[in-house]
Amino acid sequence: MTAIMQPGFWVFILTMAGIYGIFSLGLQVQYGVGGILNFGHVGMMALSSYTMAILVISHGINFWIAAASGVAVAALGGAFLGLTTLRLRGDYFSIVSIAFSEIVRYVIYNSDNLTGGVQGSLAIPVIGDNYPSYTDTWDSLVNHIRDFLQPRLGDYVDRDFVMGVLVWITLAILLLLVSRIEKTSWARVLRATREDDDVPAALGKNVFRFRLQAVIIGSIIGGIAGIYWGLESTLLSPDDFLTLVTFYGWMILILGGATKVKGLPIAAIFFGFLYGGTRFFTFWPFSIIDSSQRAYIRIMIIGFALIVLMMRRPQGIFGKRQEMVLE
Amino acid sequence: MNNLLLEVNDVAVTFGGVRAVNGATLDVAVGSVTSVIGPNGAGKTTLFNLISGAIKPTSGRILFEGLEIQNLPPHKIAERGIIRTFQGAKVIKRLSVLENLMLGGQNNPGDNLIGFFSPRTRKAYEDQARDRAMELLQQIGIERFAQDYAGILSGGQRKLLDLARALMANPTMLLLDEPFAGVNPTLVEKLLEVLDALRTKHHLTFLLIEHDLETVMNISDRVIVMAEGRVIADGQPNSIYQNQAVVDAYLGTRKQSS
Repeated sequence: MTAIMQPGFWVFILTMAGIYGIFSLGLQVQYGVGGILNFGHVGMMALSSYTMAILVISHGINFWIAAASGVAVAALGGAFLGLTTLRLRGDYFSIVSIAFSEIVRYVIYNSDNLTGGVQGSLAIPVIGDNYPSYTDTWDSLVNHIRDFLQPRLGDYVDRDFVMGVLVWITLAILLLLVSRIEKTSWARVLRATREDDDVPAALGKNVFRFRLQAVIIGSIIGGIAGIYWGLESTLLSPDDFLTLVTFYGWMILILGGATKVKGLPIAAIFFGFLYGGTRFFTFWPFSIIDSSQRAYIRIMIIGFALIVLMMRRPQGIFGKRQEMVLE
Repeated sequence: MNNLLLEVNDVAVTFGGVRAVNGATLDVAVGSVTSVIGPNGAGKTTLFNLISGAIKPTSGRILFEGLEIQNLPPHKIAERGIIRTFQGAKVIKRLSVLENLMLGGQNNPGDNLIGFFSPRTRKAYEDQARDRAMELLQQIGIERFAQDYAGILSGGQRKLLDLARALMANPTMLLLDEPFAGVNPTLVEKLLEVLDALRTKHHLTFLLIEHDLETVMNISDRVIVMAEGRVIADGQPNSIYQNQAVVDAYLGTRKQSS
C-alpha cells in the first residue's frame, strides 16, 4: 500500500496517460473525423521508437534527427498502410490494419541484427564502445530543465516530473493543432466520408486522398507517441507493441467521445487511473484472490467500467449524442 | 454540333451477365432541359452513374464539352462541371445543413492541407461560401435549419438540400435523379421555380431522370425514353406522347394487332 501514497507513482501514471493520450489523438483524427477504423495504430509507435533507437545506437546519429526520422518512418508506415489497403471498405481495412501492426512487431521480433529481436533494444548492435542507450541526449535535456525548475518550484520536481510535464505540453500542443485542423473544410469533407463516399466524390472531392491524409496525420501523431514511449521506458521490447495497446488507445478515444478532442485528455487520465490505480485493489474482496490473478480482475474491472459508461453515455464524456445516434 | 454539351455514344455496361445499359446513345444541348424517362429497370440511374463516373462503361464513349470523360473518376468529372444529385436525396446526416451545403464549394483552399498554413485565404473562402450557402438556403426556404443536423430534415427538405448543395458547386450541367419523386405538389412547384430561375439566369444545362412523362412534360425541351438499357425514343415532349414504342414500353406490347 505504500506505492499508492507516493507522488512519484502518480506522476508515472499521468505521464503514461499523457503518452497514451497522444497515441489516442492519432486515432481521433482517423476515426473521430474520418471514420477510419485503424486497429494497427500501435505499429506506428513501434516504427518510430525503434527507428529512433536504431539510428542513435547503431549509427550514432543525433538524437533529434533520429527522433524526427522515427516520426517520418511512422508517417511512411501510415502512407504504406493507406495506399495498399485504404481502398478496402471500412471493416476490411480494420482487419488488414491489425495485420500491419503484427507484421511490424514480428519483423522487429525476428530481426536480431537490426532491432535486437526478442531481447529488445538492449541487444541493438552498438557502434564503437557505446552503450545501447538512446536516451542520453534527452536525459541531459530533462536534467537541465529539472535543475532549472527545482530551486524555483520545490524538491518534488525530479526527472519523472519533468518528463510528465513535457509529455503533457506536447499533448496540449497537438490537441490545439488537431482542433484547428478539425475546423477546416478538409475535416468537413472527411466527416462527410464517414457516412458516404458518393456524395463528396460527386462534389469533386477525391475521397481517397482525404482518407490517406488522415491516416498519415494520425500516424505522425502515433509516431510522436512512440518517441515518448521509448524515452519513458528507456528500453524497447517487441512486446511493448501488442495489438492490445491499440485497443487501449481506442478505449481512451471512445471514453472521451470520438468526435470531440476536448474529452480526450480527461479520458486519458481516467484510463491511466483505471489502469494504474486498480493495481491497488488489494483490499477485501480482492484480497481473497492471489496477486497474479488479481491482474486479470483489473482488466475485467476496466472492461466493466467501459461497458457501463457506454450504456449510459454512448457519445463518451464530451461527445455529442446526436452525432453518434442520428440515422 | 458545337452546341452539344454532353454526348453519350453507344455506351454499354455489364453487371455479371446483365446488360444494364446496352448501347445507349444520346446527347444534351447547351442550356437545355433534357429528361430521361423510362420504366423501372430501364437503366436510367445506371446511365447517370456512367456519366458521373460512379461506374465505368464496358464499351462506348462519353464526351463532355468535347472531351472524353468515361474513364475519369467521379471527383474529376465533378471538377469538370457535371454535378449530380441522388435518387432519394443523399444528405450527410451527421453534418449540419449548412455544412452539407459548404461541402459543395469547389477549389476550397481549406480542402488542401497546405491551405492549413494560410488561414486568411481559408477564412476568406469560407466566409464567402457561407454567405452563398445561406442565400441558397433562403431560396429553398430551409434557412431556419442551417445549424441543425441534416438528419432531422424530412424527405422533401433533403431533396431541396441535395439540389442546393449541387448548386453550391457552380455546375455547368446538373444531373438530377428523380428530383420530383415523393415530393408534395407544393414543393414540386417550388423546385420547378428554382430550376426555372437557374436555367434562365445562370444558363445551366439539366439532365433529369423521372419515372413518367407527365411530370417533366412542361419543363423539358427534350425527352429521351429508355427501356431495357436502350434509348427507344428521343424528341420533343409532345412527339413522345404519340410514340408507339413508348406506349409499348410502359404498357406492354399489345397482343392483338390493330
